[in-house]
Amino acid sequence: MRFVAKRQKEGVNVSDTHPLVEASTLIVGLAAIFAIIAVALIFVVELALYFVSAEDEANLFGDWLPDDLITVAPNDERLYQTQLLVDRLASHWPGAPYTFRVEIDDSEIANAMALPGGLIIVTQGLLNQVESENELAFVLGHELGHFRNRDHIRALGRGIVLSMFFAVVTGNDAAGIGIKAADITLRGFSRRQETRADEFGLGLVHSEYGHVDESWRLFERWNIDGSSFLDLVTYLSTHPETGDRIADMKRHAELERWPVDGEITDLSW
Amino acid sequence: MEGNIEQINLFLNFGLPFLILMIAYFFGSYIEKRHFRSIRKREAELLDFPVVSFDTMPDDWNVSRSDMVTGSIVISLDYFKRVIAGLRGLIGGRIKTYEPLLERARREALLRMSEEARTQGYDAIFNVRLETSRLANARRDGKGVAGVEMLAFGTAVKFASRFANSE
Ligand SMILES: [Zn+2]
Repeated sequence: MRFVAKRQKEGVNVSDTHPLVEASTLIVGLAAIFAIIAVALIFVVELALYFVSAEDEANLFGDWLPDDLITVAPNDERLYQTQLLVDRLASHWPGAPYTFRVEIDDSEIANAMALPGGLIIVTQGLLNQVESENELAFVLGHELGHFRNRDHIRALGRGIVLSMFFAVVTGNDAAGIGIKAADITLRGFSRRQETRADEFGLGLVHSEYGHVDESWRLFERWNIDGSSFLDLVTYLSTHPETGDRIADMKRHAELERWPVDGEITDLSW
Repeated sequence: MEGNIEQINLFLNFGLPFLILMIAYFFGSYIEKRHFRSIRKREAELLDFPVVSFDTMPDDWNVSRSDMVTGSIVISLDYFKRVIAGLRGLIGGRIKTYEPLLERARREALLRMSEEARTQGYDAIFNVRLETSRLANARRDGKGVAGVEMLAFGTAVKFASRFANSE
């Protein structure tokens, strides 16, 4: 046998695709798939909203609580007073299909949310930051606005989509970008919902107090106060930019001829 | 001020991962190109050194001494390759970014083995085998690969007289 020297053949084992082409194909493709799934799910949620009435929802979720909720003591004065305030505001919404329940989450991040079955969760962080009953009333009215438009179901749909994506891509940084893209797509849909909830909340506040003074004072403080920078960012992730938001509310109050000055009610705790 | 926060958010969410990915790609591909250049050059130098996979020696090899020789290499994945492979893992298909990595590992291991044999004065290697092993996990949750190890081994032989019985 004779040995013939030959150069290694190159190329069979390595694909010709340029790595950057491969990368951009995958990233763009996955982002597109995520966005399509997200939009499809929005459609499904709208269908569900059409077929499941608010009354059905209230019956189904009437005494439901999220498993991971850490609440304050049930005899907490703030809980009692906040529930009372919600009931007063809701009395200006005749025929509301929900029996509203308030729970206080022990998180220090200022937030409030509307959950299925008429459950309103406010965080301790929020209660620590509000300086008058009027400020708190607007936040609660805003959440009631979400129930009115049933945005809370849409928000739930969005949460499900995102956690589904997270489950699929755990730990992959680039796929994480896809999730963020989907999140932003969904957020675009929710901006309008926030504005409508603001307007409804403002109406409830006006019915209760006869004016809308201090409704947006909390947001003005967040705007100016640099120390709540972090809160602002977390808040921004689900709500419109505060600057626009305040301007929109002022415009709406002016349009409806609701007085923007009035007697301020102190917090009762 | 709100505009700034939005921009910071946008940068943190999209700009930063992209930047890190590009930096990783830049370094990774530079190192890879350099490695391939070195491999080709050294392969050319070893062109007349027979490395074969027969498990028995060809009859006409008249051998004076022999020994086992090995060559091994451990190469780490770069961040870019790992991320892109992770995306590939979602939908399936050829993990194209890993292919050049394994190619480099195979050829480098064979080269090291051959260079070692030549340094020790051998003339050829037969019964060459390749083995690969999975190293430690890249992440604490047991997922991911830190790198790839390739081991080449074979029986190096010294001819009594070079290709004495050929033809
Ligand atoms: Zn809202």
